[in-house]
Amino acid sequence: MSTLDRPDDFETRRQHLRGLSDAQLHARFWELVQRISDPLVEEARTHTSPGIERSVLLRMGFTSAEAKQLVDRMHRQGLLGHGAGHLLLQLALRKGLSVRAAGEALLKGDCWRELKP
Amino acid sequence: MKLDPDKKLDILEVLQNLEHYRPRRKGWVWRKLVPEQTVGPFVYKNSSENLKNSLPLPAAEYFSNIDPQCDLIITTEIASGRFEDDLRRMRMAAWHGADHIMVIRTTGQSHIDGLIEGTPEGVGGIPISRKQIRASRKALDAIEDEVGRPINFHSYVSGVAGPEIAVLFAEEGVNGAHQDPQYNVLYRDINMHRSFVDAAESKKIMADAGILQLDGAHNANATAKEAWKVTPELFVQHAVNTAYSRAAGMEAEQIALSTVPPTAPPAPKLRLDLPYAVALRELFKGYKFRAQQNTRYMESDTDEATVSHVLDTLISRLTETDIQSTITPDEGRNIPWHYNNIAGVNAARQTLMGLDGLDELLDIKQEGSFREQVRELKERAVLFLEEILHAGGYYTAVETGQFVDSGYYPERKGDGIVREVDGGDCAGTVIPREQDYGAPVCSHFGQNRYPEQDGKPCDDYGGCTLCDPAKIRYIDEVDDQDNVMQRLKKPLAEREQGRLRPEVEKHGDGVVCVTLFIPDEPHTAKQAALELALHMGLQNPEVINQRIMHPAEGSLLEIKGTVDLYIDKNALPAYSQVTLLTDEDIESWVRPRDLHIVAATVGEDEHTVGLHEILDIKHGGIEKYGFHCHNLGSSVSIEQVLDKVEESGAAAVLISTVITHADIHKQHMRKLARLAGKRGLKNLLLIAGGPRIDERIARECGMDAGFGHGATGREVASFIVRRWREQA
Repeated sequence: MSTLDRPDDFETRRQHLRGLSDAQLHARFWELVQRISDPLVEEARTHTSPGIERSVLLRMGFTSAEAKQLVDRMHRQGLLGHGAGHLLLQLALRKGLSVRAAGEALLKGDCWRELKP
Repeated sequence: MKLDPDKKLDILEVLQNLEHYRPRRKGWVWRKLVPEQTVGPFVYKNSSENLKNSLPLPAAEYFSNIDPQCDLIITTEIASGRFEDDLRRMRMAAWHGADHIMVIRTTGQSHIDGLIEGTPEGVGGIPISRKQIRASRKALDAIEDEVGRPINFHSYVSGVAGPEIAVLFAEEGVNGAHQDPQYNVLYRDINMHRSFVDAAESKKIMADAGILQLDGAHNANATAKEAWKVTPELFVQHAVNTAYSRAAGMEAEQIALSTVPPTAPPAPKLRLDLPYAVALRELFKGYKFRAQQNTRYMESDTDEATVSHVLDTLISRLTETDIQSTITPDEGRNIPWHYNNIAGVNAARQTLMGLDGLDELLDIKQEGSFREQVRELKERAVLFLEEILHAGGYYTAVETGQFVDSGYYPERKGDGIVREVDGGDCAGTVIPREQDYGAPVCSHFGQNRYPEQDGKPCDDYGGCTLCDPAKIRYIDEVDDQDNVMQRLKKPLAEREQGRLRPEVEKHGDGVVCVTLFIPDEPHTAKQAALELALHMGLQNPEVINQRIMHPAEGSLLEIKGTVDLYIDKNALPAYSQVTLLTDEDIESWVRPRDLHIVAATVGEDEHTVGLHEILDIKHGGIEKYGFHCHNLGSSVSIEQVLDKVEESGAAAVLISTVITHADIHKQHMRKLARLAGKRGLKNLLLIAGGPRIDERIARECGMDAGFGHGATGREVASFIVRRWREQA
């Protein structure tokens, strides 16, 4: 749905801004921006995505191809909300393996049942 | 790896041991400013440290070849499609003063859900992969040593693999990147939730790695139908990305707003663009500004594009700017050609040096209509923000087409870009974090059971790749056909054989450009020019620019095409290789001897400037070495020249011939050779010069040497002394 044509009614709309000093106008600008960006930031704080989870596995020493394979499978199993890196590290700690070895086991198709938190 | 200014960049050396190469620094570097710097005969107000190796602006030869560097970072955007060709372009650009190299990412990479590996060929840019980035950074590390200034390397953290690309950039020492979720949403139709959630992670990674961020707001005025009207919205886009970046942990000085003056002549550019530029800098005080040049109105005429660039750069100088980005003047007609990268860089440098110290001369008027315009733009932006909140927030505002509408807000034209909140590429891929969500790595944004406060979140397994680069896993190539080694086979073999082909985009691509004026109406002129190009041997000729001089009298046309020809450089005539002697060497040979030279502009030719350049001491001519020069002036007959030779006992003759109608220049040279022979002046050195003279033509006409446009006294003197030494 696109907003239809609207004439330039700036002179009417600006009435409440006319009395503001430049500094007050700037402050109002940034306050409004903050109110717009806050919910966006909150969503990012509480959500993740396959891209983020792959980037976590990259940082844990996996290649892009390995990270993609692991994240895709975790995503299909509905596990990504726990964090791909977290699941992997917990598996490694439980089994006494390095993170790398735990990841390789998963890539071979092993240990998936033990992955669930 | 060390570069030699006399040798080509060895791409095989760049590729060697790449799996072990580590960048030597992370983060963005600014130029070192030098206040009141003396360079040659001038004192500069806005300059930075000089380079160790560089190529000065063309007119520098009149100012003892000084090469002062401006205070702003200069960006060039490189997009050949092959990273191995980009590397040579980066080196050329660095020698011309660019210290921010942006590689444009290939079309479509934004939609690839993961990283690209290896070095496939791109279209309209290069695929960004670890190998490509690492090779580029390695080459740039060597190039910055060669020119003596740090070089910032830049690409894009966007698309659906944004957070992975951010990790790659942090690991590989990329110094700057575009990151703006709004760009994904509006121009790539990637789902809004996904774009913003990913962006916070990307920004956090960039913040920790010191990567300078550019936003994408300028794209609104490159897209809207009436671009100069979207200015209030540009503030909003800059602000949303800025506030979001700050929340992700970026400092103000790490955020560069990408600002583009929104109009071009015939619009009254300065009157529209300057209030916008000033309002932006007032609203965003404390942030950095990266001024890009306007591409919105570029046609195919490179002269026109250059004038717009100069005006854009004037606005940069009149306001606060930290980075001056350049675009190639051929962007309206080609994927940028390498020499046009240099043309863009030089246009900005030439303007900035010419405007040095402008703020000591001018102030922008602060009273009257200018101030009112600045205020009005800000108020319109505030009204825009109010409507976003009224609509229910950012996502809803995008869904109702509030952005990139070409009305001058609050005017609306109903033609904004509409994106559905739950639509777009990768819709439905954002996942709520569970209570136990964790990411045991550094530079992670948001709720996490591995907090950064108490030690590192990656301590449990000995460190992530950002702490321990040895853990980074490198993939070399994935395609055994589409990779750099396959592509290099032919050019490297040809280089080995000494074959030279013309090129503009890719190594030896054979592309050339010819300019023709055809005296007929536009349509006929165009057809005729294309036919002529075919007869000249150009394959697939295309008109890249047509400028009508008069609807009936004719058009100027630029045609590009390819030629499947090469020259064997080993077979080039030996005399075309000039080796100069030093001034001391020449003088110490000439001074003790009583050497006379007769010079004249011959025939009915009144031009004397060129000859003065070669002879006169005040132009750096050969008199300074101690030659006795007898300049007979202009319109001198060959007989008069030889009379003077016999009278003075001169050992060399310099004739200048500028007029070339009916090959008169060749007739003069032949006559001189013939008459000198008749008079028995066997050892007399015969030298000709002029804009249409070259070594080959001169020799054909019986001269000992010929010097063309741009020749210097030192070249002429070096030739004379060498020849006499050989005879002695």
